[in-house]
Amino acid sequence: MPRPFLFALMAFMLGLASEVQAHATLDHSEPRVGNTVATAPHEVTLWFTQKLESAFSSITVTNAAGERVDSGKTRVSGSQMSVTLRAGGPGAYKVNWRVLSSDTHATEGSFSFQVGH
Amino acid sequence: MFIRSTRAGLYGLAVALFPLSPALAHEIVGNRFFPATLGIDDPGVNDELSFPTVDSFKTGDDPSVRQRDISGEFSKRITEDFAIAFGSTYTFLGPIDPTSAGANGFQNLETTFKYRLFKNIEHEFVMSVGLSVEWGGSGSASVGADPFNTYTPTVYFGKGFGDLPDTLSWVRPVAVTGQVGYGVPGRNSTTTFGIDPDSGEVTADTEFHPRVLNWGGTIQYSMPYLKSAVVDLGLPDFFNHLVPLVEATLQTPIANTLTSGRQTTGTINPGVIWVGNKFQFGVEALIPINRQSGSNVGVIGQLHFYLDDIDPRGIGKPLFGNAVSAARPSARN
Repeated sequence: MPRPFLFALMAFMLGLASEVQAHATLDHSEPRVGNTVATAPHEVTLWFTQKLESAFSSITVTNAAGERVDSGKTRVSGSQMSVTLRAGGPGAYKVNWRVLSSDTHATEGSFSFQVGH
Repeated sequence: MFIRSTRAGLYGLAVALFPLSPALAHEIVGNRFFPATLGIDDPGVNDELSFPTVDSFKTGDDPSVRQRDISGEFSKRITEDFAIAFGSTYTFLGPIDPTSAGANGFQNLETTFKYRLFKNIEHEFVMSVGLSVEWGGSGSASVGADPFNTYTPTVYFGKGFGDLPDTLSWVRPVAVTGQVGYGVPGRNSTTTFGIDPDSGEVTADTEFHPRVLNWGGTIQYSMPYLKSAVVDLGLPDFFNHLVPLVEATLQTPIANTLTSGRQTTGTINPGVIWVGNKFQFGVEALIPINRQSGSNVGVIGQLHFYLDDIDPRGIGKPLFGNAVSAARPSARN
Protein backbone atom coordinates (compact mmCIF):
# COMPACT_ATOMS: atom_id res chain seq x y z
CA MET A 1 0.00 0.00 0.00
CA PRO A 2 1.45 3.40 -0.96
CA ARG A 3 2.75 5.19 2.12
CA PRO A 4 0.98 8.55 1.50
CA PHE A 5 -2.33 6.73 1.22
CA LEU A 6 -1.60 4.84 4.42
CA PHE A 7 -0.87 8.01 6.35
CA ALA A 8 -3.89 9.77 4.90
CA LEU A 9 -6.18 6.90 5.89
CA MET A 10 -4.81 6.78 9.42
CA ALA A 11 -5.12 10.55 9.80
CA PHE A 12 -8.70 10.34 8.56
CA MET A 13 -9.63 7.60 11.01
CA LEU A 14 -7.91 9.28 13.94
CA GLY A 15 -9.61 12.52 13.01
CA LEU A 16 -12.97 10.82 13.08
CA ALA A 17 -12.16 9.19 16.36
CA SER A 18 -11.27 12.47 17.99
CA GLU A 19 -14.03 14.66 16.59
CA VAL A 20 -17.17 12.61 16.38
CA GLN A 21 -19.28 12.17 19.50
CA ALA A 22 -19.36 8.63 20.85
CA HIS A 23 -22.04 7.17 23.07
CA ALA A 24 -22.40 7.65 26.79
CA THR A 25 -20.37 5.50 29.14
CA LEU A 26 -20.11 5.67 32.90
CA ASP A 27 -17.28 7.90 33.98
CA HIS A 28 -17.71 7.99 37.74
CA SER A 29 -20.35 8.09 40.40
CA GLU A 30 -21.13 9.46 43.85
CA PRO A 31 -20.97 7.38 46.00
CA ARG A 32 -18.02 5.91 44.13
CA VAL A 33 -18.30 2.44 42.68
CA GLY A 34 -17.51 -0.23 45.26
CA ASN A 35 -16.62 2.25 47.98
CA THR A 36 -17.92 2.66 51.52
CA VAL A 37 -19.57 5.82 52.83
CA ALA A 38 -20.14 6.59 56.49
CA THR A 39 -23.80 7.54 56.25
CA ALA A 40 -26.56 6.73 53.83
CA PRO A 41 -26.48 9.20 50.91
CA HIS A 42 -29.53 11.29 50.03
CA GLU A 43 -29.02 10.60 46.34
CA VAL A 44 -26.94 8.69 43.83
CA THR A 45 -25.37 10.64 40.99
CA LEU A 46 -23.74 9.18 37.89
CA TRP A 47 -21.57 11.09 35.41
CA PHE A 48 -21.34 9.86 31.84
CA THR A 49 -19.10 10.71 28.95
CA GLN A 50 -21.87 12.02 26.70
CA LYS A 51 -25.20 13.76 26.88
CA LEU A 52 -28.12 11.54 27.76
CA GLU A 53 -31.66 11.23 26.47
CA SER A 54 -33.75 11.73 29.59
CA ALA A 55 -36.74 9.77 28.32
CA PHE A 56 -34.82 6.51 28.16
CA SER A 57 -32.33 6.88 31.02
CA SER A 58 -32.95 5.67 34.54
CA ILE A 59 -31.40 4.60 37.83
CA THR A 60 -32.76 2.14 40.34
CA VAL A 61 -31.20 1.46 43.75
CA THR A 62 -31.94 -1.55 45.94
CA ASN A 63 -30.85 -2.42 49.46
CA ALA A 64 -29.41 -5.71 50.68
CA ALA A 65 -32.92 -7.15 50.93
CA GLY A 66 -33.56 -6.31 47.29
CA GLU A 67 -36.08 -3.56 48.09
CA ARG A 68 -36.19 -0.40 46.01
CA VAL A 69 -34.91 2.58 48.00
CA ASP A 70 -34.91 5.17 45.22
CA SER A 71 -37.68 7.68 44.63
CA GLY A 72 -38.37 6.33 41.16
CA LYS A 73 -37.81 9.71 39.52
CA THR A 74 -34.48 9.93 37.74
CA ARG A 75 -33.25 13.43 36.95
CA VAL A 76 -31.14 13.90 33.84
CA SER A 77 -29.12 16.99 33.12
CA GLY A 78 -26.69 16.87 30.23
CA SER A 79 -24.32 14.01 30.94
CA GLN A 80 -25.33 13.72 34.59
CA MET A 81 -28.06 11.55 36.05
CA SER A 82 -29.30 11.44 39.67
CA VAL A 83 -31.95 9.79 41.77
CA THR A 84 -33.04 10.63 45.31
CA LEU A 85 -32.89 7.90 47.94
CA ARG A 86 -35.24 7.28 50.83
CA ALA A 87 -33.64 7.16 54.27
CA GLY A 88 -31.72 3.93 54.71
CA GLY A 89 -29.43 2.20 57.15
CA PRO A 90 -26.05 0.53 56.95
CA GLY A 91 -25.47 -2.26 54.48
CA ALA A 92 -24.89 -2.96 50.81
CA TYR A 93 -26.73 -1.08 48.10
CA LYS A 94 -26.91 -1.96 44.44
CA VAL A 95 -27.24 0.62 41.70
CA ASN A 96 -28.64 -0.41 38.31
CA TRP A 97 -28.50 2.12 35.52
CA ARG A 98 -29.56 2.29 31.93
CA VAL A 99 -29.00 5.18 29.56
CA LEU A 100 -29.56 6.15 25.98
CA SER A 101 -27.09 8.62 24.60
CA SER A 102 -27.97 11.28 22.06
CA ASP A 103 -26.42 9.17 19.28
CA THR A 104 -28.90 6.31 20.02
CA HIS A 105 -26.54 3.88 21.76
CA ALA A 106 -28.03 2.15 24.78
CA THR A 107 -25.84 1.27 27.72
CA GLU A 108 -26.57 -0.50 30.96
CA GLY A 109 -24.63 -1.53 34.00
CA SER A 110 -24.66 -2.01 37.73
CA PHE A 111 -22.44 -1.60 40.76
CA SER A 112 -22.59 -1.65 44.53
CA PHE A 113 -21.57 0.59 47.40
CA GLN A 114 -21.59 0.15 51.14
CA VAL A 115 -23.01 2.29 53.92
CA GLY A 116 -21.37 2.01 57.30
CA HIS A 117 -18.40 -0.22 58.00
CA MET B 1 -8.73 -13.60 13.15
CA PHE B 2 -8.27 -16.69 11.14
CA ILE B 3 -5.61 -18.88 12.68
CA ARG B 4 -4.15 -21.01 9.99
CA SER B 5 -1.04 -22.81 9.01
CA THR B 6 0.27 -22.65 5.49
CA ARG B 7 3.34 -23.84 3.74
CA ALA B 8 5.29 -21.77 1.33
CA GLY B 9 8.08 -22.45 -1.04
CA LEU B 10 10.91 -19.98 -0.54
CA TYR B 11 14.08 -20.65 -2.43
CA GLY B 12 13.13 -24.27 -2.67
CA LEU B 13 12.50 -24.72 1.03
CA ALA B 14 9.21 -25.36 2.74
CA VAL B 15 8.63 -22.55 5.18
CA ALA B 16 5.99 -22.89 7.87
CA LEU B 17 4.14 -19.62 8.17
CA PHE B 18 1.53 -18.32 10.53
CA PRO B 19 0.02 -15.28 8.85
CA LEU B 20 -1.47 -13.11 11.56
CA SER B 21 -4.63 -11.55 10.25
CA PRO B 22 -6.23 -8.84 12.38
CA ALA B 23 -8.80 -10.11 14.81
CA LEU B 24 -12.12 -8.36 14.71
CA ALA B 25 -15.37 -7.90 16.59
CA HIS B 26 -15.59 -6.26 19.94
CA GLU B 27 -18.67 -7.21 21.88
CA ILE B 28 -20.76 -5.79 24.70
CA VAL B 29 -22.84 -7.98 26.99
CA GLY B 30 -24.40 -6.04 29.86
CA ASN B 31 -21.61 -4.73 32.04
CA ARG B 32 -19.04 -6.62 30.00
CA PHE B 33 -17.08 -5.23 27.11
CA PHE B 34 -15.04 -7.80 25.22
CA PRO B 35 -12.31 -5.92 23.35
CA ALA B 36 -11.16 -7.05 19.93
CA THR B 37 -8.26 -9.34 20.69
CA LEU B 38 -5.24 -9.63 18.42
CA GLY B 39 -4.76 -13.37 18.27
CA ILE B 40 -8.19 -14.90 18.09
CA ASP B 41 -11.51 -13.51 16.99
CA ASP B 42 -13.96 -12.29 19.57
CA PRO B 43 -17.34 -13.79 20.31
CA GLY B 44 -19.54 -11.08 18.81
CA VAL B 45 -20.23 -9.08 15.69
CA ASN B 46 -19.95 -5.36 15.07
CA ASP B 47 -18.95 -2.65 12.61
CA GLU B 48 -15.23 -2.13 12.92
CA LEU B 49 -11.91 -1.72 11.23
CA SER B 50 -8.58 -3.18 12.24
CA PHE B 51 -5.87 -1.22 10.55
CA PRO B 52 -3.07 -1.67 10.72
CA THR B 53 -2.12 -4.91 12.38
CA VAL B 54 1.62 -5.45 12.22
CA ASP B 55 3.70 -8.35 13.43
CA SER B 56 7.23 -9.64 13.26
CA PHE B 57 8.59 -13.04 14.17
CA LYS B 58 10.93 -15.80 13.02
CA THR B 59 9.31 -18.89 11.57
CA GLY B 60 9.88 -22.38 12.90
CA ASP B 61 11.75 -23.56 9.83
CA ASP B 62 15.38 -24.56 9.80
CA PRO B 63 16.90 -22.18 9.01
CA SER B 64 14.18 -19.86 10.22
CA VAL B 65 12.92 -16.90 8.22
CA ARG B 66 12.07 -13.44 9.53
CA GLN B 67 8.42 -12.81 8.68
CA ARG B 68 6.72 -9.43 8.91
CA ASP B 69 3.07 -8.85 8.14
CA ILE B 70 0.87 -5.81 7.79
CA SER B 71 -2.81 -6.46 7.54
CA GLY B 72 -6.23 -4.93 7.71
CA GLU B 73 -9.76 -6.16 8.17
CA PHE B 74 -13.13 -4.49 7.82
CA SER B 75 -16.31 -5.87 9.32
CA LYS B 76 -19.81 -4.71 8.40
CA ARG B 77 -23.02 -5.69 10.11
CA ILE B 78 -25.75 -6.70 7.72
CA THR B 79 -28.23 -7.12 10.56
CA GLU B 80 -27.77 -6.59 14.29
CA ASP B 81 -26.51 -10.16 14.67
CA PHE B 82 -24.90 -10.93 11.31
CA ALA B 83 -21.73 -9.44 9.87
CA ILE B 84 -19.35 -10.01 7.00
CA ALA B 85 -15.64 -9.28 7.40
CA PHE B 86 -13.04 -8.83 4.69
CA GLY B 87 -9.35 -9.17 5.45
CA SER B 88 -6.04 -8.95 3.65
CA THR B 89 -2.43 -9.38 4.70
CA TYR B 90 0.80 -8.29 3.05
CA THR B 91 3.79 -10.42 4.02
CA PHE B 92 7.50 -9.68 3.92
CA LEU B 93 9.78 -12.69 4.17
CA GLY B 94 13.38 -12.07 5.05
CA PRO B 95 15.96 -13.95 3.03
CA ILE B 96 17.45 -17.19 4.26
CA ASP B 97 20.56 -16.33 2.31
CA PRO B 98 21.69 -12.80 3.34
CA THR B 99 22.77 -12.12 -0.22
CA SER B 100 19.28 -12.81 -1.57
CA ALA B 101 16.40 -10.41 -1.85
CA GLY B 102 13.70 -12.28 0.11
CA ALA B 103 10.08 -12.36 -0.96
CA ASN B 104 6.98 -10.37 -0.32
CA GLY B 105 3.36 -10.28 -1.45
CA PHE B 106 -0.25 -10.55 -0.43
CA GLN B 107 -1.71 -13.51 1.37
CA ASN B 108 -5.02 -14.81 0.11
CA LEU B 109 -8.03 -12.59 0.70
CA GLU B 110 -10.28 -13.76 3.51
CA THR B 111 -13.98 -13.37 4.09
CA THR B 112 -15.78 -14.28 7.30
CA PHE B 113 -19.52 -14.65 7.71
CA LYS B 114 -20.45 -14.48 11.37
CA TYR B 115 -23.72 -14.77 13.25
CA ARG B 116 -24.32 -14.10 16.93
CA LEU B 117 -26.31 -17.03 18.22
CA PHE B 118 -26.84 -16.24 21.86
CA LYS B 119 -26.27 -13.50 24.39
CA ASN B 120 -27.02 -13.63 28.12
CA ILE B 121 -26.53 -10.28 29.84
CA GLU B 122 -26.89 -11.57 33.41
CA HIS B 123 -24.10 -14.10 33.00
CA GLU B 124 -22.07 -12.06 30.51
CA PHE B 125 -22.08 -14.92 28.06
CA VAL B 126 -22.14 -14.73 24.29
CA MET B 127 -21.73 -17.29 21.52
CA SER B 128 -21.41 -16.93 17.75
CA VAL B 129 -20.79 -19.14 14.77
CA GLY B 130 -18.97 -18.28 11.59
CA LEU B 131 -17.57 -19.48 8.32
CA SER B 132 -14.27 -18.13 7.07
CA VAL B 133 -13.27 -18.53 3.46
CA GLU B 134 -9.71 -18.05 2.29
CA TRP B 135 -9.91 -17.37 -1.41
CA GLY B 136 -7.27 -19.51 -3.07
CA GLY B 137 -5.13 -17.92 -5.75
CA SER B 138 -5.87 -14.36 -4.67
CA GLY B 139 -2.48 -14.06 -2.98
CA SER B 140 1.11 -14.61 -3.93
CA ALA B 141 2.53 -18.13 -3.93
CA SER B 142 5.96 -16.74 -3.05
CA VAL B 143 4.74 -15.95 0.49
CA GLY B 144 2.79 -19.16 0.91
CA ALA B 145 -0.67 -18.26 -0.36
CA ASP B 146 -2.43 -21.45 -1.39
CA PRO B 147 -3.90 -21.77 -4.89
CA PHE B 148 -7.06 -23.35 -3.47
CA ASN B 149 -9.81 -22.18 -1.13
CA THR B 150 -9.87 -23.09 2.54
CA TYR B 151 -13.14 -23.18 4.46
CA THR B 152 -13.14 -22.85 8.25
CA PRO B 153 -16.39 -23.16 10.18
CA THR B 154 -15.81 -21.80 13.66
CA VAL B 155 -17.56 -21.49 17.01
CA TYR B 156 -16.78 -18.46 19.19
CA PHE B 157 -17.68 -17.83 22.81
CA GLY B 158 -17.06 -15.30 25.57
CA LYS B 159 -17.79 -15.41 29.27
CA GLY B 160 -17.31 -12.69 31.85
CA PHE B 161 -17.18 -13.48 35.54
CA GLY B 162 -19.25 -10.53 36.69
CA ASP B 163 -21.83 -12.94 38.12
CA LEU B 164 -19.47 -14.17 40.83
CA PRO B 165 -20.49 -13.50 44.45
CA ASP B 166 -19.29 -10.49 46.42
CA THR B 167 -16.63 -12.55 48.18
CA LEU B 168 -14.90 -12.94 44.80
CA SER B 169 -15.48 -9.40 43.59
CA TRP B 170 -11.85 -8.91 42.55
CA VAL B 171 -12.24 -11.78 40.09
CA ARG B 172 -15.28 -10.21 38.42
CA PRO B 173 -13.22 -8.22 35.90
CA VAL B 174 -11.87 -11.52 34.53
CA ALA B 175 -13.26 -12.82 31.26
CA VAL B 176 -12.39 -15.66 28.95
CA THR B 177 -13.01 -15.99 25.25
CA GLY B 178 -12.31 -18.82 22.87
CA GLN B 179 -12.77 -20.18 19.41
CA VAL B 180 -12.65 -23.59 17.81
CA GLY B 181 -12.54 -23.91 14.04
CA TYR B 182 -11.93 -26.68 11.56
CA GLY B 183 -10.02 -25.67 8.46
CA VAL B 184 -10.91 -27.72 5.40
CA PRO B 185 -8.76 -27.15 2.31
CA GLY B 186 -10.59 -27.21 -0.99
CA ARG B 187 -7.93 -29.53 -2.35
CA ASN B 188 -6.66 -32.70 -0.67
CA SER B 189 -3.19 -32.70 -2.21
CA THR B 190 -0.91 -31.01 -4.67
CA THR B 191 1.49 -32.96 -6.85
CA THR B 192 4.52 -31.28 -8.32
CA PHE B 193 6.31 -32.90 -11.23
CA GLY B 194 10.01 -32.48 -11.90
CA ILE B 195 12.99 -34.11 -13.53
CA ASP B 196 15.66 -35.92 -11.58
CA PRO B 197 18.94 -34.23 -12.57
CA ASP B 198 20.89 -37.47 -12.20
CA SER B 199 18.66 -39.99 -13.92
CA GLY B 200 16.64 -37.63 -16.11
CA GLU B 201 13.46 -39.39 -15.05
CA VAL B 202 10.25 -37.59 -14.23
CA THR B 203 9.60 -37.29 -10.49
CA ALA B 204 6.39 -36.55 -8.65
CA ASP B 205 6.28 -34.87 -5.24
CA THR B 206 2.91 -34.91 -3.49
CA GLU B 207 2.00 -32.64 -0.60
CA PHE B 208 -1.15 -33.43 1.32
CA HIS B 209 -3.09 -30.47 2.67
CA PRO B 210 -4.21 -31.28 6.20
CA ARG B 211 -7.50 -30.46 7.81
CA VAL B 212 -6.54 -28.34 10.76
CA LEU B 213 -8.17 -27.66 14.10
CA ASN B 214 -7.73 -23.93 14.71
CA TRP B 215 -8.27 -23.29 18.36
CA GLY B 216 -7.38 -20.75 20.94
CA GLY B 217 -8.51 -18.62 23.81
CA THR B 218 -7.88 -15.59 25.94
CA ILE B 219 -7.99 -14.73 29.61
CA GLN B 220 -8.29 -11.04 30.27
CA TYR B 221 -8.61 -8.69 33.23
CA SER B 222 -10.63 -5.57 32.47
CA MET B 223 -9.58 -2.46 34.35
CA PRO B 224 -12.55 -0.56 32.84
CA TYR B 225 -14.82 -3.20 34.34
CA LEU B 226 -13.05 -2.93 37.68
CA LYS B 227 -13.65 0.81 37.81
CA SER B 228 -17.24 0.91 36.62
CA ALA B 229 -18.70 -2.24 38.14
CA VAL B 230 -16.53 -3.44 41.04
CA VAL B 231 -14.54 -0.71 42.74
CA ASP B 232 -13.32 2.73 41.71
CA LEU B 233 -9.80 2.85 43.13
CA GLY B 234 -9.15 6.38 41.97
CA LEU B 235 -6.35 5.25 39.67
CA PRO B 236 -4.92 7.56 37.00
CA ASP B 237 -7.25 7.54 34.03
CA PHE B 238 -4.76 5.77 31.75
CA PHE B 239 -4.85 2.62 33.87
CA ASN B 240 -8.64 2.54 33.85
CA HIS B 241 -8.51 1.87 30.10
CA LEU B 242 -6.19 -1.14 30.19
CA VAL B 243 -7.07 -4.77 29.60
CA PRO B 244 -4.06 -7.00 30.28
CA LEU B 245 -4.53 -10.41 28.73
CA VAL B 246 -2.93 -13.64 27.58
CA GLU B 247 -3.95 -15.24 24.33
CA ALA B 248 -3.24 -18.67 22.91
CA THR B 249 -3.49 -19.36 19.18
CA LEU B 250 -2.98 -22.98 18.24
CA GLN B 251 -3.22 -25.19 15.17
CA THR B 252 -3.46 -28.96 15.22
CA PRO B 253 -3.54 -30.96 11.98
CA ILE B 254 -6.28 -33.54 12.36
CA ALA B 255 -6.76 -35.33 9.06
CA ASN B 256 -4.94 -35.85 5.78
CA THR B 257 -1.69 -35.44 7.70
CA LEU B 258 0.55 -37.80 5.73
CA THR B 259 3.06 -35.09 4.82
CA SER B 260 2.30 -32.46 7.45
CA GLY B 261 2.45 -34.50 10.62
CA ARG B 262 0.13 -33.91 13.55
CA GLN B 263 2.15 -31.69 15.81
CA THR B 264 0.35 -28.76 17.36
CA THR B 265 1.92 -25.40 16.69
CA GLY B 266 1.09 -21.92 17.82
CA THR B 267 1.94 -19.12 20.18
CA ILE B 268 1.13 -17.85 23.66
CA ASN B 269 0.65 -14.10 23.55
CA PRO B 270 0.81 -12.01 26.72
CA GLY B 271 0.01 -8.37 26.17
CA VAL B 272 -2.24 -5.44 26.90
CA ILE B 273 -5.02 -3.54 25.14
CA TRP B 274 -5.82 0.12 25.76
CA VAL B 275 -9.54 0.59 25.28
CA GLY B 276 -11.11 3.90 24.36
CA ASN B 277 -14.61 4.83 23.35
CA LYS B 278 -13.89 4.90 19.62
CA PHE B 279 -10.71 2.95 19.14
CA GLN B 280 -8.31 0.65 20.89
CA PHE B 281 -4.64 -0.15 20.63
CA GLY B 282 -3.06 -3.46 21.56
CA VAL B 283 0.38 -5.01 21.67
CA GLU B 284 1.37 -8.57 22.49
CA ALA B 285 4.43 -10.78 22.51
CA LEU B 286 4.33 -13.90 20.33
CA ILE B 287 5.91 -16.76 22.29
CA PRO B 288 6.15 -19.96 20.21
CA ILE B 289 5.05 -23.09 22.06
CA ASN B 290 7.72 -25.25 20.39
CA ARG B 291 10.53 -25.07 17.85
CA GLN B 292 8.16 -25.82 15.00
CA SER B 293 6.15 -22.73 15.91
CA GLY B 294 8.99 -20.25 15.80
CA SER B 295 12.56 -19.69 16.77
CA ASN B 296 12.25 -16.53 18.86
CA VAL B 297 9.74 -14.27 20.56
CA GLY B 298 7.89 -12.07 18.10
CA VAL B 299 5.62 -9.11 18.54
CA ILE B 300 2.22 -8.01 17.22
CA GLY B 301 0.49 -4.65 17.47
CA GLN B 302 -2.88 -3.41 16.30
CA LEU B 303 -4.91 -0.24 15.96
CA HIS B 304 -8.61 -0.96 15.93
CA PHE B 305 -11.53 1.39 15.27
CA TYR B 306 -15.09 0.99 16.50
CA LEU B 307 -17.06 2.18 13.51
CA ASP B 308 -20.34 1.82 15.40
CA ASP B 309 -19.10 4.56 17.72
CA ILE B 310 -17.30 6.69 15.17
CA ASP B 311 -20.28 6.91 12.83
CA PRO B 312 -23.32 5.40 14.58
CA ARG B 313 -25.82 6.72 12.04
CA GLY B 314 -23.76 5.92 8.96
CA ILE B 315 -21.28 3.17 8.31
CA GLY B 316 -21.49 2.07 11.93
CA LYS B 317 -25.05 0.82 11.88
CA PRO B 318 -26.44 -2.42 10.45
CA LEU B 319 -27.62 -2.27 6.86
CA PHE B 320 -30.95 -3.68 7.96
CA GLY B 321 -32.67 -3.43 11.31
CA ASN B 322 -32.21 -1.44 14.46
CA ALA B 323 -29.40 1.10 14.63
CA VAL B 324 -29.39 1.08 18.43
CA SER B 325 -26.69 -1.06 19.94
CA ALA B 326 -25.24 -1.60 23.34
CA ALA B 327 -22.23 0.48 24.20
CA ARG B 328 -19.11 0.03 26.22
CA PRO B 329 -20.33 0.55 29.75
CA SER B 330 -17.08 1.70 31.19
CA ALA B 331 -14.38 2.92 28.85
CA ARG B 332 -13.98 6.43 27.60
CA ASN B 333 -11.46 8.50 25.72
